[in-house]
Amino acid sequence: MNGPPGLDLAAIPERIQSEVQRAIQRSIKGVEYFSSSGPSLGLTPKDILHVRGTMNLYHYWPVADEIYRVPILIVMATTNRGYILDMVPGQSFIEFLLKRGYDVYMLDWTAPKPEEKSLRMEDYVLDFIPDCVRRVQQDSGETELTVIGYCFGGVLSLLYGSIFADGPMKNLICFTTPVDFREMKLFQNFSDRRYFDLDRLIDSVGNVPPEMILSSFEMLRPASRAASQVQLWENIWNDEYVKSYRMFDRWATDTLPLAGEYFRAITKDLMWDNKLYNDTMSVGGRPADIAKIKVPILHAVAEHDHIVPYDAAKPLIQKIGSTDKEEVILKGGHVSLVAGANAVKRLWPKLDSWLGGRST
Amino acid sequence: MTDKSNDPVAIWQNMIGEMEKGFNTVANHAMASPEFSKVVNQVGGVAAGAQKQLGDLMEKYLVTMNLPSRAQMVSMAERLQSIEGQLNEIKALLHQVRSNSGGLEGGYPATPKPPRTKRPPSADGEQK
Repeated sequence: MNGPPGLDLAAIPERIQSEVQRAIQRSIKGVEYFSSSGPSLGLTPKDILHVRGTMNLYHYWPVADEIYRVPILIVMATTNRGYILDMVPGQSFIEFLLKRGYDVYMLDWTAPKPEEKSLRMEDYVLDFIPDCVRRVQQDSGETELTVIGYCFGGVLSLLYGSIFADGPMKNLICFTTPVDFREMKLFQNFSDRRYFDLDRLIDSVGNVPPEMILSSFEMLRPASRAASQVQLWENIWNDEYVKSYRMFDRWATDTLPLAGEYFRAITKDLMWDNKLYNDTMSVGGRPADIAKIKVPILHAVAEHDHIVPYDAAKPLIQKIGSTDKEEVILKGGHVSLVAGANAVKRLWPKLDSWLGGRST
Repeated sequence: MTDKSNDPVAIWQNMIGEMEKGFNTVANHAMASPEFSKVVNQVGGVAAGAQKQLGDLMEKYLVTMNLPSRAQMVSMAERLQSIEGQLNEIKALLHQVRSNSGGLEGGYPATPKPPRTKRPPSADGEQK
């Protein structure tokens, strides 16, 4: 019997059998899915060196017999939890760094409390980061350190580095860090100053609720959540797929609120006035011009980043004052750049080869 | 086996992917308009105001019912967090004392910090 070209009729029973088996597996695994919790995340052993309000400083236990002289301080984005960089063994950026002989600290954030609504940009840049830097210096016994900033953590690191240009930052690594906020076109439109009553919002809610932050991220790709649910159902028989889905879904929905005054400054100074790009940014009255940063810098950006489009991140390398500077464009999106199977193969080895020689 | 172009499952998966891309593109285009911004911010502003008023009302209701309000729970959580913070400070101090003394008397020796002497591997993969 002849079928359409490319269709092997003899293989159809086998295909049907396979699909029936998967359908049965879906039902069994579907019940398991709803009756079990996801994998535990962020479990690489660490000490909590310091906790102050929304700020947490962790020190991960070194695992190598010999470590690089210069410690690393990771500055996490203020909208999300740091465990994206420490998912599960084998998919943990932190674990990777420790095994490669780095001494790793992380500045992570918890939800600001209602009375922390008055935290300003200067609290983050002139207080929290310098406080953590001092503690890393005390704990490690080293003066210099490498700063790694992810997304808005990169913006905070740039502001810190430009104000404290004389040190102690030795190297700077930014992951998908926006500089030209005009190019974040949808965020620009959401916060259009003609219609977005920023002051009224902050004055009425205090801290910007996490639901609002999450909605603004999800609105950038409105069909993706529904499509991912369909894909989950199709692949629910596949334990590895489900594990990965649960890890990333949990992290993506675990969004943090933002302190009201801090959000006001981000919107006015960066989204509306684009001060970082226009070289007019200041924090607490101190000019923050990224051309003053002279330390070696690596900027990793994602080819398909829908949150920080490449055009928003591109000017970083052009504007920074460093002579030892490199931009690397990797396949992937805003999250898959730093975590997951792609990151394991692409970003992490690249970062190690760049940083090792600069950490002695 | 059937090739991808005739596999109904592959066709379905491809269709979902294309639909997602298509919908996102259309929606992104619509969301880039000033009209969208105007409507979203009007609705969002009203919702934020309503949420605040509802929160205040709920707070009063919980007080009347002699139940802890969210603010009181948050305050309790803060106190717990503060205790946790102090415990961490004590833990860090103990850790420091242990490191300085080379281990607790009669206990396990302190884990020595690895030396900061690592060099990057050379081009042939050997440690320098």
